[in-house]
Amino acid sequence: MMKSNLYSRGDKIFALAVSVLIGMFTVATLYPFIYIAAVSFSSGFAATAGKVVLTPIDATIEAYKYVLLDPQFWVSYRNTFIYTIGGTVMSLLFIIPGAYALSRPQLYGRRTWNLFIAFTMWFNAGLIPFFLNMRDLGLLDSMFGIILAFAVNAFNIILLRNFFEAIPQSFEEAARMDGANDFQVLWKVFVPLSKPAIATITLFCIVSRWNGFFWAMVLLQSEEKIPLQVFLRHTIATLSDDQEFTATLMDAAYSAETVTAAIIVCSIIPVLIVYPFIQKYFEKGILLGGVKE
Amino acid sequence: MSGVFLEGIVKRYGAVEVVHGIDLEIQPQEFVVLVGPSGCGKSTTLRMIAGLEEISDGTLRIGERVMNRVAPKDRDVAMVFQNYALYPHLNVAENMAFGLRIRKTPKAEIATTIEETARILGLTEYLERRPADLSGGQRQRVAMGRAIVRHPDVFLFDEPLSNLDAKLRTQMRAEIKRLHKRLGVTSVYVTHDQVEAMTLADRIVVMADGRIEQIGTPMELFNNPANVFVASFIGSPPMNQFEATLEDSDAGPIAHANGTLIQLHGQEALRGSAGRDVIIGIRPEHVMLNAEPGTASIPIELDLIETLGSEALLHTHVGRETFVAKVETHGEIGHLHGVNALHVKPERVKVFDKETGQAIGQVA
Repeated sequence: MMKSNLYSRGDKIFALAVSVLIGMFTVATLYPFIYIAAVSFSSGFAATAGKVVLTPIDATIEAYKYVLLDPQFWVSYRNTFIYTIGGTVMSLLFIIPGAYALSRPQLYGRRTWNLFIAFTMWFNAGLIPFFLNMRDLGLLDSMFGIILAFAVNAFNIILLRNFFEAIPQSFEEAARMDGANDFQVLWKVFVPLSKPAIATITLFCIVSRWNGFFWAMVLLQSEEKIPLQVFLRHTIATLSDDQEFTATLMDAAYSAETVTAAIIVCSIIPVLIVYPFIQKYFEKGILLGGVKE
Repeated sequence: MSGVFLEGIVKRYGAVEVVHGIDLEIQPQEFVVLVGPSGCGKSTTLRMIAGLEEISDGTLRIGERVMNRVAPKDRDVAMVFQNYALYPHLNVAENMAFGLRIRKTPKAEIATTIEETARILGLTEYLERRPADLSGGQRQRVAMGRAIVRHPDVFLFDEPLSNLDAKLRTQMRAEIKRLHKRLGVTSVYVTHDQVEAMTLADRIVVMADGRIEQIGTPMELFNNPANVFVASFIGSPPMNQFEATLEDSDAGPIAHANGTLIQLHGQEALRGSAGRDVIIGIRPEHVMLNAEPGTASIPIELDLIETLGSEALLHTHVGRETFVAKVETHGEIGHLHGVNALHVKPERVKVFDKETGQAIGQVA
């Protein structure tokens, strides 16, 4: 009773509204995932007929067999790993020193440099000039091209720059007095102190690389270089165009829908595995204790 | 150990000059405290010595070397920061070893140095702990440890005790003093707390508005402040000050303040200054309850008595200015209520020019 007295009627209505909204948001986020998982384990007919709502209908693993027995699936899976790991490492190699430099008051022309970086968030070259640029650099249909071309992201740089700026100046000064050079200050002080921010950026990079579809489709031609998302697109196209396959749909243990769903489930799994490991770095208060505010 | 020598040191931020040509000689092994109110340029001066701020003009030498353009790491100075600046991701031992590792000191040597320093500072049992798991005093000790392990030529302290509570501050003050005695390293210490300055310093440098107001030993500053600023800054409670006009008498100069006459016998330098407007300064500690032969008497009305235990502060006023006397209680304060005059030896009375604020006719 005591507790209820502490909250006004308005507070309670607000709390209820918040709970309802969060509930709706949870359902909206979770349901597509559950639906896709259910479809992937359903029969091709049930999926195509739209019978699947929450649980698999005529449960089968035929779609997974189709996917996992296709060698191209494994090639594109491997490629996605290469693009994700290579791309994330490359991004961090650019973003961390870049953000550090932009966060330092002693950087000559700092405001201008920051403006240049931010400018790319609002305006970029556009599809055709970017494509032509990649072509002229000889980076078309190149795995390295995909890794390099999207390494620098202005939003991530600004995010990390702001985090670096919030680190008390005295850490840098103490390190300098201790004999550290710029690189050592960054590597031995700022990077360890910025684990939460770097973890966030790493996750952003991983997710965006893992889901990277459009530019991979535009820039890559060879089958042996395409990532999972492009493979998914190819599979959907192939199955949908396969007239013979469509004709036998009534008996099919799998369909374009179930195979698509199976590929999606397979592609989500690594991110689900990685996330908890990164999440532990989202700890608060890592700066506590080092300086007295 | 090296001395630190500042010649005409100036600091400008754009067009704004914040330190206006400081000359200071700090001898090897000396403990010098820069003291002054916020914004007086003391921390900026220290940071210029450290190399964390560029020197706009003038020459800084540490030992024989001119350091104006030398990087902080190559100056052989170590600094203790106000907010400790301990690396939160490293434990105590790693924090202290940080500088040694960067300088590629052999591991065995690092271990020995850390062990020895931890023993001196009483940190041996905390070596594995992170800064977050330490108390304020322990963190401050680690910060000092980090400075000590490098065996620098000069220690710089930037208000290192200002984040500690009063009791701990007193304790750490004594530790810093002991440490200085033991290590004998030239030290420059910045504080706004005049008590810290008085207790720690071999010499105190009082600063205001980017200038040095006075340099001297604690007792020199206490007894013979060069101007009204130093007089009011050093000492707690501060020196009483009130306006007066000088007059001559047969027995010697007299200060006339709002109807109160204060004898200044013996202050011969004031003779012949009749009519000059001055500020009279009297330390609360120099006030006596009983008259002695030759003492100047100030009739008063008591406003308030503050009891401190062994001492009491008598609050009264001379003209419109508050006047505080610090007297011994000898365990009871009953007799203080009847006080209607205070006494001071004429030679204890300080006289400052009203215009310039500078001391006139000091008696040592």
